[in-house]
Amino acid sequence: MTLRMTRRSALACAVALTALPTAATAEDAWPTAPLHVYVGFPAGSSPDTLTRIVTEPLAQRLGQPVVVENKPGAGGVIGVQQMLANAGDGLSFATTINGPLTTAARLMKSTGYDVATDIAPVTLIATSPLVLAVSASSDFTDLESFIAAAGTEPEFLSYGSVGQGSGAHLTAELFADAAGVSLLHIPFTSYAEVTTSIVGGEIDAGFMAPSAALPQVEAGRMRMLGITSAEPFPQAPDVPVLAGRAGLPADFRAELWNAFIAPAGTDPAIIARLNTEIGAILADPEVQQKLLAIGWQAAPGTPGELADRIAADTAMWGAVIDRVAAKP
Amino acid sequence: MTTWEGLLYGIGFALQPAVLIYCVLGVVLGTFVGVLPGIGAMAAISLLLPITYYITPEAALIMLAGVYYGAQYGGSVASILMRLPGTPQSAVTSLDGYPLARQGRAGVALFTAMASSFAGSMIGIAVLVTLAGWLSHAATAFGAADYAAMMILGLVAASTIGSSSPAKGFAMVVLGLLLGCVGTDVNSGVQRFTFGRTELLDGINLVALAMGLFGVAEVIANVRDPDRQGVTERIGGRQLLPRRDDLKRLPGPMLRGSALGSFFGALPGTGSTLSSFLAYALERRVSRTPERFGEGAIEGVSAPESANNAAAISAFVPTLTLGIPGDPIMALMLGALVIHGVQPGPLMLEARPEMFWGLVASFGIGNLLLLVLNLPLIGIWVAMLRIPFRWLYPAILIFLCLGVYSVRGLSFDILAVAAIGLAGYLLALARFSPALLLLGFVLGPLIETNLRRALLIGRGDPMVFLDRPIAAGFVLATVGLLALSLVQVWRRRRAR
Repeated sequence: MTLRMTRRSALACAVALTALPTAATAEDAWPTAPLHVYVGFPAGSSPDTLTRIVTEPLAQRLGQPVVVENKPGAGGVIGVQQMLANAGDGLSFATTINGPLTTAARLMKSTGYDVATDIAPVTLIATSPLVLAVSASSDFTDLESFIAAAGTEPEFLSYGSVGQGSGAHLTAELFADAAGVSLLHIPFTSYAEVTTSIVGGEIDAGFMAPSAALPQVEAGRMRMLGITSAEPFPQAPDVPVLAGRAGLPADFRAELWNAFIAPAGTDPAIIARLNTEIGAILADPEVQQKLLAIGWQAAPGTPGELADRIAADTAMWGAVIDRVAAKP
Repeated sequence: MTTWEGLLYGIGFALQPAVLIYCVLGVVLGTFVGVLPGIGAMAAISLLLPITYYITPEAALIMLAGVYYGAQYGGSVASILMRLPGTPQSAVTSLDGYPLARQGRAGVALFTAMASSFAGSMIGIAVLVTLAGWLSHAATAFGAADYAAMMILGLVAASTIGSSSPAKGFAMVVLGLLLGCVGTDVNSGVQRFTFGRTELLDGINLVALAMGLFGVAEVIANVRDPDRQGVTERIGGRQLLPRRDDLKRLPGPMLRGSALGSFFGALPGTGSTLSSFLAYALERRVSRTPERFGEGAIEGVSAPESANNAAAISAFVPTLTLGIPGDPIMALMLGALVIHGVQPGPLMLEARPEMFWGLVASFGIGNLLLLVLNLPLIGIWVAMLRIPFRWLYPAILIFLCLGVYSVRGLSFDILAVAAIGLAGYLLALARFSPALLLLGFVLGPLIETNLRRALLIGRGDPMVFLDRPIAAGFVLATVGLLALSLVQVWRRRRAR
């Protein structure tokens, strides 16, 4: 049978094609052009990889390419700024770690945006706890011995972080305050430097992403004394949670997170659609495995839950920043 | 697996067509991004990263590594021909490479750069294979005090290169140190000289600074003085090759440069930049005719090129043996491995020998390919100089802007390169050396951060610089070098 197109059937096709967009609702038509997702970290970094794990299936689901735009700098703030600079087209979004939405306004003179009025939360993507790591050649075999040593005199033990005001720094200060000890902060710029310094015996400890510590732990160079999440973390299931141990409160918890955001004023229908699609992507076990391999645990939620998380963490870390600033 | 077994296994692995093709692709691409001013390995690797999802992790690493060391070859081309270094390392090469080109010996300078790059890489590979364990130990043994002392020595040793007068050289180093202060201070978190601009929080973009000081300044100088297009050398096979007396000068700088590069490259941080400056400074010091440096000394091309290529290879030591990336490009490559589910770390050598030995073998194969690829290209590169400036310079400026933009994707950096270029031109008019400004800019923040970090860790006790043997050694060497310079000055005064 040969396929022949009559003049009439061609006409019918043409009518059907032109009728399609009008028949569909506005939400179904969106997106009509490629999406741009801004990331405030360089290509190949952990937040960038996380974004690409999510945007690849997102592009398939939306039927439009999703372009990841790396705009690294200022702890991720530049990525958010670049999204806002391109706001208004309904196609510019961003993923960001918690810093630019919670602590940046306190740590920088001006971020150029107000989280409450300029940002529309879409969904939380994933969370990551930090582990307390020490050198394997140190005397600290568990949390109790570490805290006991730290208590002998103020700033007896030192720890490294990835910078002033970084998650690693603030988590350590939150921990020290909860444990009733005082630790000496040594700022570095990357986990690579912190790890080297701990393994080399120059500093005593550091809070870091599990994926930064695990290779050194497996090689017998470092030990993990505890983890800041409420439950044991699947990537390092043997590491005990810090909460409730060695005098720490039972609700002690500190997590970094990564979220998908939009500029304020974005059509609520678009936000709802993205929330649904990303939620479905994060429910896929394969995606969850990929995220876990780079240290992130999928944790989707509603836009409202993300807004609450931003508010709660801004208050919690703000209090830590106040305490650090008040230190002599 | 012994070293020889590993190496043979690696060669077999890297010569598989499915792997070799990516090695070829990497080094060819590396050469071209290296030649284009401002567009560096970082940008090329970022762009290639999504492609690596679809190939094996070994092939991905071999390709990305090829871009990394291939760019070191290409980087010297624009630096020698047009004084357009894309990186601080190749800025040193321009100190003598560019005068050679202006004397009509561009072919010889390029040949020297290629041969020295090859020698540096090969020595670097030998060091990587034989001394990787020792070097990785050195990388963790170095603490903040040791880094600070080492970089102060580097600054002192290299602070007079490429400058017409010591006072002007000193002024440029200090200006570089001051520009290095811009941005967020690592130790206190205080934002310095940022004028409220978020773009300046991480400091001035290094590529914008290098491209402005050298590239844009050179373009302005040439536009203002059309007679400068003097190099219209016809290239025959004979002119490409160095003369016999040139060849005799090469083995020393190659060996010394490679040794310096291999050692400093393995230290996480700024090994390769420091090593090319130090290699140049060392050659000038050991030379019987130091006055030739800056006027077209072939050793001044050979030493830094050997050093930065050896460093590019030994930079893989901490990355592969410790899982600790020494610079952002290495971090990017490790990121590519993580995407494939390969966890880089101290155990990678045992867990995935094909990755380690395959990569090492691909270094050798890749460098051989680079030599074969680049030697015939010398004639073509030199012919580029015959392109009329009115065509060449607009093209250069476009590539330069693309390169600067590719680093962070911010238009702010393009405005910065224009402003820096103008300042660079004014400095060049007054015969100030931009290379020293760059040295101060690169080393300043590292010295400050490590010095303050060492004091912080030592609870404020300055003795940390003398208690640690490595730091004490560098402090002694610095004092010795300063004393030597003072004695030389005093002798010269007396001779008058």
